[in-house]
Amino acid sequence: MENLLDINFLIESFPAIISRLPITIGIAVGSLILSLVIGVFTALIKIYKVPVLSMVSSLYISFVRGTPLLVQIYLVFYGIPKIIYYLQIEYGWLLSADVNSIPPEVYALLAFSINLGAYLSETIRSAIESVDRGQFEAAKAIGMKPTQMMLQIIFPQALAVAIPNLGNMFISTIKDTSLVFIIGVVDIMGQAKILGSRGLAFFEVYIAVSIVYWILCIVVERLLVTIEKRARRYERGIAS
Amino acid sequence: MIKLENIHKYYDKQHVLKGISLNVNKGEVVSILGPSGSGKSTLLRCINFLEQPTSGIVEIGGKRVDVESASKSDIFALRTSTGMVFQQYNLFKNLTVLQNVMIGLTSVKQLKKDEAKKKSLEILERVGLSNRLSHYPAQLSGGQQQRVGIARALALNPEVLLFDEPTSSLDPELVDEVLATIRSVADTGKTMFIVTHELNFAREISDRVIFMEDGVVIEEGTAEQLFNHPKVERTKQFLSKATRNS
Repeated sequence: MENLLDINFLIESFPAIISRLPITIGIAVGSLILSLVIGVFTALIKIYKVPVLSMVSSLYISFVRGTPLLVQIYLVFYGIPKIIYYLQIEYGWLLSADVNSIPPEVYALLAFSINLGAYLSETIRSAIESVDRGQFEAAKAIGMKPTQMMLQIIFPQALAVAIPNLGNMFISTIKDTSLVFIIGVVDIMGQAKILGSRGLAFFEVYIAVSIVYWILCIVVERLLVTIEKRARRYERGIAS
Repeated sequence: MIKLENIHKYYDKQHVLKGISLNVNKGEVVSILGPSGSGKSTLLRCINFLEQPTSGIVEIGGKRVDVESASKSDIFALRTSTGMVFQQYNLFKNLTVLQNVMIGLTSVKQLKKDEAKKKSLEILERVGLSNRLSHYPAQLSGGQQQRVGIARALALNPEVLLFDEPTSSLDPELVDEVLATIRSVADTGKTMFIVTHELNFAREISDRVIFMEDGVVIEEGTAEQLFNHPKVERTKQFLSKATRNS
């Protein structure tokens, strides 16, 4: 009788796939952190209408939104080594960098940070702009410096507004990291492909890897709910 | 103490303050009355540069600033020598009552935490909110929020307190507690500048009352002069209408 699934192979593939989870999570979390930095800077540049830089930011966001992530990954993977090499030969810059020794994980991290940063930028901008003007005025009136005002008053309130959106984008990013095998990063998806071709059992490994993604995303969603509750704890609560 | 000289403010081409000059002495309580759109709130907000005045001179506690050439440090000096109480309270929503009062002390005056806390507790005691320290603004009534607003402004021990229609967004039954708090602050000899629609309150608390319309001071005098013997016809009209409505 023909079996639909090789259950044993499916189950046995889990440990190997899970062993690659740190790569997937590392790229997702690492690019979340970097992209938050990019997102906050570009958002502030646009809010304060900094000349030249705000045009650069708009161009960057437009480009990222208008091109496929897959293409962006290739651009980073093939482009950055060429640019570094060019700078070394033509200007003698960055000579300490050995292009050949940069692991593909670094390119993946960069590509995802650039991609997510552009999307976060708009979310962060609208979240900051949603903070009541009176909050800015009160901070200025007591003499707070712009950085103090932003860090202590405005960002915490903007974050509370932005978390649901940030969370959704982060979850998308986790799933998008499944593309990184194309530049040679062995993440959970890459491991699944390797196992699949070794045992000629693709259906089984893709079922296994989808279960791993699914559980990962459920855990992250749970985490986000907790974080959101904490970030919004100051909104209409019960007076005790 | 506070001196305004020939303050002008334009919004684009709209001329909202047309050369206001005022002197407020130390310990004086001055109220500004006038119909909506007369420029009284704008005047108050020009003192601490929440609105950039177009021209004129602001002087507080000996610090003289020509508004056209005001540097960041000039503006900082004016802001730290004034405390502002807003119509919409504008408490920091993400901070507790205690943190709202403390933040100016820790961030702006750079006091140590326990020192800032001690001061803040004293001030919150004065406004009667010692039992709400770890509440967030959203958990307080409007009157309580405004009392925290007053405490926050007092915490930095400014030379002058600026009140921008402090009771205008309150439910009528909450107005009294806020007025009582303002009165108790006035009794400590604080210099205060109050924009208000509460005529009876202004009359009772003010050493001096200013009546403004269309960006100019129409009349000024002691509360007794202005309310009982207004000289200008427009002031009479305003006061009789406003008192009839209140």
